[in-house]
Amino acid sequence: MSTPLRNHVTPDIYFEITTFLHQESYYLDHKQFKEWLELFTDDVDYRMPLRETVEGGLSAQTIATDSSYLEETKVSLKTRVNRLYTKSAWVENPTTRQRHFISNIIVEPTESPDEWKVKSYFLFKRSRASTHELEELFGERHDIIRNIDGEWKIASRIIYPDQTVITTMNMSMFL
Amino acid sequence: MLLKRSLDEKLFLQLKEKMSQGLLPQWVITDPDIYQLEMENIFERTWQFLGHETELKHNGDYVTRWLGRDPVLLVRNNNGEIKAFLNSCSHRGTQLCTADRGNKKAFTCPYHGWTYNNDGDLIGVVADNRVFGGEMDKSDWGLRPIPKVDSYQGMIFGCLDENAESLDDYLGDMKWYLDMLLGRSDGGMEVIGLPQRWVAKANWKSTTENFAADPYHVQTTHRSTVELGISPSDPFYAGYGHQVVCDNGHGINVITSKTGKARVKYQSMPEEMWPMFEKNLTPEQNDIMSKVTVFVGGVYPNLSFVSPIHGTEGHLHNYLNFRLWRPVGPEKVEVWCWFFIDKLAPEEYKKAAYKGYLGSFGPSGTLEQDDTETWARIVEVSGGSMMRNKELSYNNVSNYLMGHNRVEPDSSFPGPGTAYPTTYLDALAKSMHEKWLEYISRDLLVGEER
Repeated sequence: MSTPLRNHVTPDIYFEITTFLHQESYYLDHKQFKEWLELFTDDVDYRMPLRETVEGGLSAQTIATDSSYLEETKVSLKTRVNRLYTKSAWVENPTTRQRHFISNIIVEPTESPDEWKVKSYFLFKRSRASTHELEELFGERHDIIRNIDGEWKIASRIIYPDQTVITTMNMSMFL
Repeated sequence: MLLKRSLDEKLFLQLKEKMSQGLLPQWVITDPDIYQLEMENIFERTWQFLGHETELKHNGDYVTRWLGRDPVLLVRNNNGEIKAFLNSCSHRGTQLCTADRGNKKAFTCPYHGWTYNNDGDLIGVVADNRVFGGEMDKSDWGLRPIPKVDSYQGMIFGCLDENAESLDDYLGDMKWYLDMLLGRSDGGMEVIGLPQRWVAKANWKSTTENFAADPYHVQTTHRSTVELGISPSDPFYAGYGHQVVCDNGHGINVITSKTGKARVKYQSMPEEMWPMFEKNLTPEQNDIMSKVTVFVGGVYPNLSFVSPIHGTEGHLHNYLNFRLWRPVGPEKVEVWCWFFIDKLAPEEYKKAAYKGYLGSFGPSGTLEQDDTETWARIVEVSGGSMMRNKELSYNNVSNYLMGHNRVEPDSSFPGPGTAYPTTYLDALAKSMHEKWLEYISRDLLVGEER
């Protein structure tokens, strides 16, 4: 990956965007899902394709282009969020404890002066009830983050999991 | 021998007796000896789903699958025929192919380089005659075929027991319902993409029963959708219709509505497709199809399906989801979840239906997320001494008394099998348990059979 000098991202921009992503994780880990949802633009494209094992060595394309776990819009994300606030979303009642560790953030400019291409790694850990097993999911996210009148919003997110078989017992978490 | 001592004939007769009373002793859920018997007597002897023909569109396409504990390489050979082999090199047993899918003409083992074509023939041995001599006949060392492979309505099944009955006989009267689910459109159904896979903390008996035979759980497990105003608030809403018990532990719930009339005709499939459904279905099947809200059921032992109406952002869609519950231990299931849609459905409809599927079922589906919680809760307590007590001293039996000796079959239902006029019923679950006991005890209850 090359970042030509003319595409220089200032330390201020990098700092603001990383702080924004940390704030996002804070909302998720503190069950402030409504606040979290507000971080997305109304036209957000939020998806998570499947990872697959294919032959072809290092150059193989291991992200399935025809299969997903999530293909969400703001409206469908809102349904998922609202469900977690009901009394009978048993997957979060009793609620789980979860952490999103976001790292390796790379910010690149786009053709639009208000939009940045942001890549980050995620490590998600979850503890449920009194069980001893600790669940985890990891991979990377490719975002388009937009500045709208001084406010940061996520305009697009693609989540790439590293596992072909998911080992969390469900995927109720947001990543 | 230890196994036979811990599970003796007396215990099986007690199981049979309790089950006839609508009670299932709880020790059987995750008992390790029972699990071993299930592997040997069910998963190594019955037909199980491997994949759909549309997952292998072109010659040379392959997917890797499992039949219980046995790895399977499912291929479409150069003549367009579907073949299934043990996914293991005949030389030293190494797993031959670890990719999920692909297309190729030959498979080479990374260990010593033995190469097979997609008919399973050994076509290449490194150094060949110089190391093995001319006396080794390569035709003796081809890939080992899965003993039985057959398909119905595009659904490919495999069976490890070469003496098993035919797939046709095994599916029996369930075929009438599979014809409805898979044969309503010209060209049938197609699978989109890969199956989603995830590992649930669950026993395979609980997941199959939960999915195929238990609409009663819908009103509580999935109450969040009622709270959101997506599902009706009537607690009986998933109970209207018929539960149909078919041969061999198979069955289906045909969930309609309070009035029995269609909530949405043909499950919201595009109107231009209705005449085609009418043409491809019998008048009886067509009548059921036009009125149904949800089909949910299963093919024993570990394939389940749901065909619902699901709303996405104001639009209603129908899709067909098949899932395989692959046991990987008494307390662990690897779930394989496929999305099916009519090949001839408009592309836009297919895309929207796929989104509807992601929103409802599969690991990320809002309905299924809550199911995983209940499956896990069964497993988490099933190792306790009170639940494991084989003398049943603690009333440690699960309750399958819903409708027991109370709900009579509805002879006016037009489909085959035994149809009961409600889906809030344990008839199908009990039929699955009976089949289960018949399988696991078949070498132990020899005396009684005589």
